[in-house]
Amino acid sequence: MSFSDIISLLRISLHAMVPLALTAIGEIVGETAGLFNIGLEGILLISAFAGAIGAEAGGPYIGLLIGAGVGGLISLLFAVINTYWRGTQMVTGIGINLFAMGFVAFGLIQLGAPGFHMVPSTIVVDGAEKAIQLAKFRTPWGMFSPMILLALVLPFVVHWFLKRTRAGLMLKAAGEMPEAADVAGININRIRILAAVFGGILAGLAGAYMSVAWLGLVTKGLSAGRGFIALACVVFSGLNPLLALLAAFIFGFFQALAEWVKTLPSKPIPGEFVSMLPYIVTLLVVSGAIGRVRFPKFLGTPYKRE
Amino acid sequence: MSTNEAQQSSRLLRGVRRTLTGLHPALESLIAALVGLLVGAILMAVWGYDPWRAYIALFQGAYGGSYEWASSLTRTTPLILTALTFSICLRAGMFNIGAEGQMYMGATAAICISYFTLPFGLHHAVGLLFAALAGAAWSLIPAALKMMRGVSEVISTIMFNWIAKWLALYLAIYVLVDPLRGEKTVSIPLTARFPLLVPRTDLSYGIFVSVAFALFIYFLLWHTTTGYELRAAGLNPAAARYGGIRDKRTMFLSFILGGIAAGLAGATIVMGLPPTYAIYGGGGLPQLVNMGFDGMAVAMVGRNHPIGIIIAAIFFGGLNAGGRVMQFYGSNPVPLEMVRVVMGAIVIAMSIPELIRVFPMLANSSKNLLNTMRRGRKEESA
Amino acid sequence: MTDARTPAENDFFLRAEKITKVYSDGTVALKEASLEIHPHEIIGLLGENGAGKTTLTKILSGLLPPTRGRVISPKGAVHFTSPREALDFGIGMVHQHFALVGTFTAAENVALGFERPFSRLQLAKTIENLEALMEESGLQIPLDVPVEKLAVGEQQRVEVLKVLSRNVDLLILDEPTSVLTPLEVDELFVLLRQLRDAGKSIILITHKLKEVQDITDRIVVLRQGEMVGDVKTADATTERLAQLMVGQAAEIEAVELSDTELPVRRVLKAVDRSKDSILHVEHLTVRGNTGDIAVDDISFDIYGGEIFGIAGVEGNGQTELVESLTGLRVPTSGKATIKGTNILGIDPRKIYELGVAHIPEDRWELGLVLPFTLAENAILGVHRWKEFRGFLSVLRWGKINKHVRELMDRFEIRASGPGAPAKSLSGGNQQKLIVGRELAKDPAIIVAAQPTRGLDIGSAHYIRQTLVDMREKGRAILLVSADLDEVLAHADRVAIMYEGRFMEVCSPDELDREKVGMLMGGVTAAKETA
Repeated sequence: MSFSDIISLLRISLHAMVPLALTAIGEIVGETAGLFNIGLEGILLISAFAGAIGAEAGGPYIGLLIGAGVGGLISLLFAVINTYWRGTQMVTGIGINLFAMGFVAFGLIQLGAPGFHMVPSTIVVDGAEKAIQLAKFRTPWGMFSPMILLALVLPFVVHWFLKRTRAGLMLKAAGEMPEAADVAGININRIRILAAVFGGILAGLAGAYMSVAWLGLVTKGLSAGRGFIALACVVFSGLNPLLALLAAFIFGFFQALAEWVKTLPSKPIPGEFVSMLPYIVTLLVVSGAIGRVRFPKFLGTPYKRE
Repeated sequence: MSTNEAQQSSRLLRGVRRTLTGLHPALESLIAALVGLLVGAILMAVWGYDPWRAYIALFQGAYGGSYEWASSLTRTTPLILTALTFSICLRAGMFNIGAEGQMYMGATAAICISYFTLPFGLHHAVGLLFAALAGAAWSLIPAALKMMRGVSEVISTIMFNWIAKWLALYLAIYVLVDPLRGEKTVSIPLTARFPLLVPRTDLSYGIFVSVAFALFIYFLLWHTTTGYELRAAGLNPAAARYGGIRDKRTMFLSFILGGIAAGLAGATIVMGLPPTYAIYGGGGLPQLVNMGFDGMAVAMVGRNHPIGIIIAAIFFGGLNAGGRVMQFYGSNPVPLEMVRVVMGAIVIAMSIPELIRVFPMLANSSKNLLNTMRRGRKEESA
Repeated sequence: MTDARTPAENDFFLRAEKITKVYSDGTVALKEASLEIHPHEIIGLLGENGAGKTTLTKILSGLLPPTRGRVISPKGAVHFTSPREALDFGIGMVHQHFALVGTFTAAENVALGFERPFSRLQLAKTIENLEALMEESGLQIPLDVPVEKLAVGEQQRVEVLKVLSRNVDLLILDEPTSVLTPLEVDELFVLLRQLRDAGKSIILITHKLKEVQDITDRIVVLRQGEMVGDVKTADATTERLAQLMVGQAAEIEAVELSDTELPVRRVLKAVDRSKDSILHVEHLTVRGNTGDIAVDDISFDIYGGEIFGIAGVEGNGQTELVESLTGLRVPTSGKATIKGTNILGIDPRKIYELGVAHIPEDRWELGLVLPFTLAENAILGVHRWKEFRGFLSVLRWGKINKHVRELMDRFEIRASGPGAPAKSLSGGNQQKLIVGRELAKDPAIIVAAQPTRGLDIGSAHYIRQTLVDMREKGRAILLVSADLDEVLAHADRVAIMYEGRFMEVCSPDELDREKVGMLMGGVTAAKETA
């Protein structure tokens, strides 16, 4: 393995880290407030699709915006169902995943090619070249997407926010002891909805990133379990955004490694086993990490004031 | 309004609710199904299709004739079982999302019986046994991880789904492959195939396996101490401990039963689906894929009760079968994937516990608004 | 007695007019209750469990909206849509079950109530303010420890400080003394009198007759949602108050007060104690959830034909002690046997087989599976009995239902039938079901933890009578209760538990109020004379 191989591996790892990190950070905020969204997988998928369409219509920023918006909207629905309407979070999440699987597959057929769709990096409109994908920076070590910076900085911002503002305190109270927060005058439902929408926006951004800023395509199975791996990051992190970033990088690294092994001329391990690698690693990390972490007492429970 | 009137109107409301509550679970599922179909209709309309004609094609394709019924029931067969996987574990307080992977392992294990010969009947039994064991084994690992390391079974079962998919693909393409036709595994021999229940259809005797297992689970959960303990542990683990029930035992039992169910689902597909009675490696396990997730939808609509699951599975099987017809309906072909959209919408609707109260809830908030206004007016005149 | 100032005629702080509250499931919690609150006044809100006291105060403090009726201040009608609005108006409530976030420190809990979400958390300033407040009020608490690690009494002080820091004019306290030792109660009352003299209004919710006469200026009695009495404390007698609380012809539990201010003991029939002890506990030490020692080297014996009472404020290790004796917690060290057989660290089922019945302190969390039917709950713990279980573990519902109907008959459990869901029963009937279930085991010893907590007087009376009957039949009974009156009135021997240790084990006759107070506060005779 040469030096350039290592650089290449790191580069891919960073790119792979982005959707995991963004989704995980968003979910951390949601779970701190007491909402557990298993539908992240579905949100990633739908926003990837929506983002691609948006980008093809109005350019990369529109694409990212639409992706984030779709993620936010779906999370809004999820949050309203599970706060004001006292729903069951697990079931809503599973429903979102199912819906997304069908919707994206359906949508891809409408776009012409069943199963996948390429997002061009640029198209020519009226003689001028218009960007569709988010341009990457050219550096001596290869092409890097600017979203990586976002993924690296955001955890710190959110960490500061949770620890040092009153809003962070409110979120924690809503998840840990909603009654106390209610008495202190906090509107539990509203705060949970805001937290979930924030998480949804980030997950939507992550999805759009995959189609518009990284892989440049949309497939039926684009998310490939990333939503659940992000959940694993959240579990590992114990709701600490910095640890989630670390976990996201680790998983991203193994995803990159799997891809790299597949490109080797001689195949020491069959491709199928290599594909298993990220999931096995996730399992190992999650199995190793549990025990230290403590989650909000009222995570997953709707709040009723009576 | 005096106190009496307030009491009376709430008594009336209670009465209405009690009537509805008696039918409550079934009614909720029905309403959720309608909501899901509505959402599908809206999406179809947005994309330029005619939802009415599409649904007519769908339901005719599902229940229009005996051939259609047979098609639907063919798809019902594995759904009952994967739904049971989810429901049994849910009743024990666990979230087993791994039916998909456990089913793949079951199907793969069933294929292995093609390598030896046994008399008819015994061969079936061995096939089912292999599948059940494989499914149970695949489901036990997450259970063990949960017990030993406290790993959330939600995450572990999902990871195992992916691992199973790749493992099954590998085995199907390289190990169990049919030497003559590389895109599929060896076929289940004649001595182990489920005979067709209805000639010239896909429906095999496999459906009896599903229904029998469902009835067995019903009996187990409500008429034996083992099932009682499982349900108690799922509803209130602390009280169950107080009652002398060992929660580890119920957890493992539920995962074993769930794994068996999913494994059997895999078996009914490979041992029951003409014409090839094999797994297709190329194309990513097409007959198996998504049975696990659809099973979860069935479980929820069936209220996690074996009888409800059978009914819900007939409905969802019909959706799948009818969907194929809807897809090829000449004048208004709607892609099959719309069915999954409808399913997802149904499940989301199911997650709202008092779906029938959503509308009253809106009515309530507007009533409160009116009251506030009325109160304001009363104070002015006071 | 109290030193009240006479309020002027129209000088009121708040007036509740004809408040009616009907919950969404139809229960009527309040029926046109009215109350006028003046400054410089401590009002006692008296009533038994379920009378509507908490509901009324939740409405006053903004947690719940009234169904009918209104609340007015001298400036006009007030309408709170959230506790925050009530707080801004000047009404603060200290709840019975503290509204504190366990993982937060006291300072963080107080900071939760302030403005501007996106501002930087100024914890230092909050701490400063709190320290000043602590000086003023005399309440001391550590400010940097997560609240869940504090003792219950300290937690309550955090709640009080939380409310005081918002400068309220009306302070509502919901059953504050149920978690305090007599000494701590005295301290609290000193603070309340201070606040009253400074012009505040105070509402004290309680069901304790003696206490309400101690501290209040005025007593208001609620019964089944209706306001049935509003008297000056000076004019009230215990009998009259008890009558108002329970109703005219109803029989009142004979918990009278004597000159020594301790309840008069029930006359328990003389029963021969069994020769050998049924339960033998030796040097039992148990750790709690936090890892700290909850039960500290306890030894005692209980004989057949006696009620052994463990008194003490909750949180002193009683829960852990009961759990370790009933198979729900593994102790750190020590010995405990039932008739010679070890009961530590073994399965609850095996312990039941040895003849132990356990009436758990939390009937919803431990005693019942609420979504289950009556029948399903009636066999919890005994579901493997040969009577109920047939070939291949099949449950014999026929026999089970018959058994349940017998229980319903014998214990006067009111429900629609064995198939009724347990959550549809009232608290009293639920507890009776549990008692019936446990007694059907024909136990040698009954472990009753807080058996009458939260029950209406009728059910509480019934259950106490049942325990007394069991005593007469020669069973051993371990009665753990935070209700001092209950324990002292019913026990042959009493142990006062404090911080995991038995301060003293003696007959209730040997105790007077002062002694009990000191023991519950951790002061032993030896320490006193030192």
